[in-house]
Amino acid sequence: MTTLWRSAAYRIAFTYSAAFALAIAVLGASVYLAADAAFRHQLDAGIAEEMTDLARTYRAGGLDGVRAAIDTRRSGAANAYHYALFDAAGRRVAGALDTMRPAPGWSDIRFVDPAEGEDAGRALARPIGGATLVVAVDPESLERLDAVILLLFAGAFVIVLMLGTVGALVLGRYLRLKLATIGDTAQAIVAGDLSQRIPIGRRGDEFDIVATSVNVMLDRIAQLLDNLQQVSSDLAHDLRTPLSRLRGSLEAALDGPSDRATLKAALRQSDDILALFAAILRISEVEGGGIGRSMEMLDVGELAGDLCETYAPAVADGGRTLTCRATAGAPVRGDRELLAQALINLLDNAQVHTPAGTAITLALTRQDGTIRLSVADDGPGVAEADRARIVRRFVRLEESRSRPGNGLGLNLVAAIAALHRGRLTIEDNRPGLRAVLVLPAP
Amino acid sequence: MHILIAEDDDPTARLVEHGLLERGHAVVRVADGPGALRAASDDPFDVVILDRMLPGLDGIQVLRSLRAAGVRTPVLLLTALGSIADRVAGLEAGADDYLVKPFAFAELAARLDALYRRPAMTDGPTRFVVGDVTLDLLRREVRRGDRDIRLQPREFAILEQLMRHAGQVVTRTMFLESVWNFHFDPQTNIVESHLSRMRTKLNDGFDHDPIETLRGVGYRMTSA
Repeated sequence: MTTLWRSAAYRIAFTYSAAFALAIAVLGASVYLAADAAFRHQLDAGIAEEMTDLARTYRAGGLDGVRAAIDTRRSGAANAYHYALFDAAGRRVAGALDTMRPAPGWSDIRFVDPAEGEDAGRALARPIGGATLVVAVDPESLERLDAVILLLFAGAFVIVLMLGTVGALVLGRYLRLKLATIGDTAQAIVAGDLSQRIPIGRRGDEFDIVATSVNVMLDRIAQLLDNLQQVSSDLAHDLRTPLSRLRGSLEAALDGPSDRATLKAALRQSDDILALFAAILRISEVEGGGIGRSMEMLDVGELAGDLCETYAPAVADGGRTLTCRATAGAPVRGDRELLAQALINLLDNAQVHTPAGTAITLALTRQDGTIRLSVADDGPGVAEADRARIVRRFVRLEESRSRPGNGLGLNLVAAIAALHRGRLTIEDNRPGLRAVLVLPAP
Repeated sequence: MHILIAEDDDPTARLVEHGLLERGHAVVRVADGPGALRAASDDPFDVVILDRMLPGLDGIQVLRSLRAAGVRTPVLLLTALGSIADRVAGLEAGADDYLVKPFAFAELAARLDALYRRPAMTDGPTRFVVGDVTLDLLRREVRRGDRDIRLQPREFAILEQLMRHAGQVVTRTMFLESVWNFHFDPQTNIVESHLSRMRTKLNDGFDHDPIETLRGVGYRMTSA
């Protein structure tokens, strides 16, 4: 029992059924008391009526009339009343009620019932013409009624208690099982299996709602953990190459004569490593979603126009052209700096991976409740098979290895798009490549 | 300049101290939060270099306490954390500038100069004159000698930064922050391309280039 009591599920179920049984008991007691009082009142009223009747007989026929009336009434088959007429000396001179003379008024008396022996009765005594008339009734029927009421409610109490206990055990077991599935899942996850999820029933009850939220939370945690693992392995893998290069430069500088050029190269390599490091951290920061505080309503049309103006000279310096087809008036909820960075990365990509003379277009269009910011070029494009691949971290197409970049640019754009509940799509511009940042319009 | 360095990483602190001493500044070094709070409250420094994470009391708390006590010394916050939320927290606590580790010493030096000679924001000048170049903020006009020079808004903003900090180095990241309000490095040459256009317009028809390029550090505008 102690173990059962320790379980919140059982405790709640038991307490609930005990409270219900207690309510039955209280109801039973109230019914008993009310019925008893009402019935007693009714008995007294009957006695009083009988007495009034006999008193009227006395006024008409004197004591003899009363005596005769008592005898007549006693012989009546259905008469429940007992009578006694005592003279001034206290002797019973008429009626069969075998008792001592009670004081005038109402009293509870003991009398000898010819059939049942000594018995309790309810009596009204009233002096008439120097004698005392007593009318009494045996409240046996009242007692029987009380007993029936008590029995019914006692039975109901016991049944409710028993059913309640059974119900509590069943309900408690059900709750325990339901909670145990959540607990088991948690245990499995603690033991290292992060793929475990809480099974969800079809009813959509409270448990299913909680299970769904917990599962969504677990998905998110798993995603963040994956991300973290990815970052760690990326760091381990992709920092090794530039670090060994840096080490080589430093070694060469130590061996050779004081060589400023080699040292400068080493400095540049360490700057590259730091930039790579910053880019990886930035992506994981964006993917972690920890930048929510700087979200605001902003006009991406204005932002795009602004970036065109910022970027046009750099593009022109590289021998390409930049055309802007974005007008103000495209509100989006977002982080200005991150969206700017996403567009810059796309513009930068279009510039780095195309030959001189390429025409680059930054355009804003609307489609099906989304705002599409596209950066398109008429350069050589990317083969269809590679389009999904280039968005992934550190993926650089072989032919572009010699070009600057760390293979993180598009990945960061995708992360920024995801943070804004949008996506990055890579499309064929026929000819060339079109990268589209699709954002939900508010 | 009288500079307080509050930095618990000894190699970093020594490197910064060495560099600043070489430039002729007076330097005091402390290595923990309570020490930084005491030193900055007691002595009138020109600039405080405050590390974000200090033992005893972290940099943000030191900064809040200083500002709460009415100490208005310019503070440059150094941090290994580069997130946006982190930068916002630093600026909200009352930092005047913010530099993410690791940094180039030249960048730190340029920012310290800018902090030290920063004019009061409220009633700063609206006209700058450096040599024969005049820039009027209200009329959005640039003149060199007797010639009007028409600049694009970004080019104008770049020149304004150079003239505000005449004689001092303005770094690439300082341009990104003040002209574009970018607090990240877009890893592209937008500063260079805008600056070179502005420079071409400014020097058209003149022999002398008042803007000096310091490779790997930034740009400086001088009157001579």
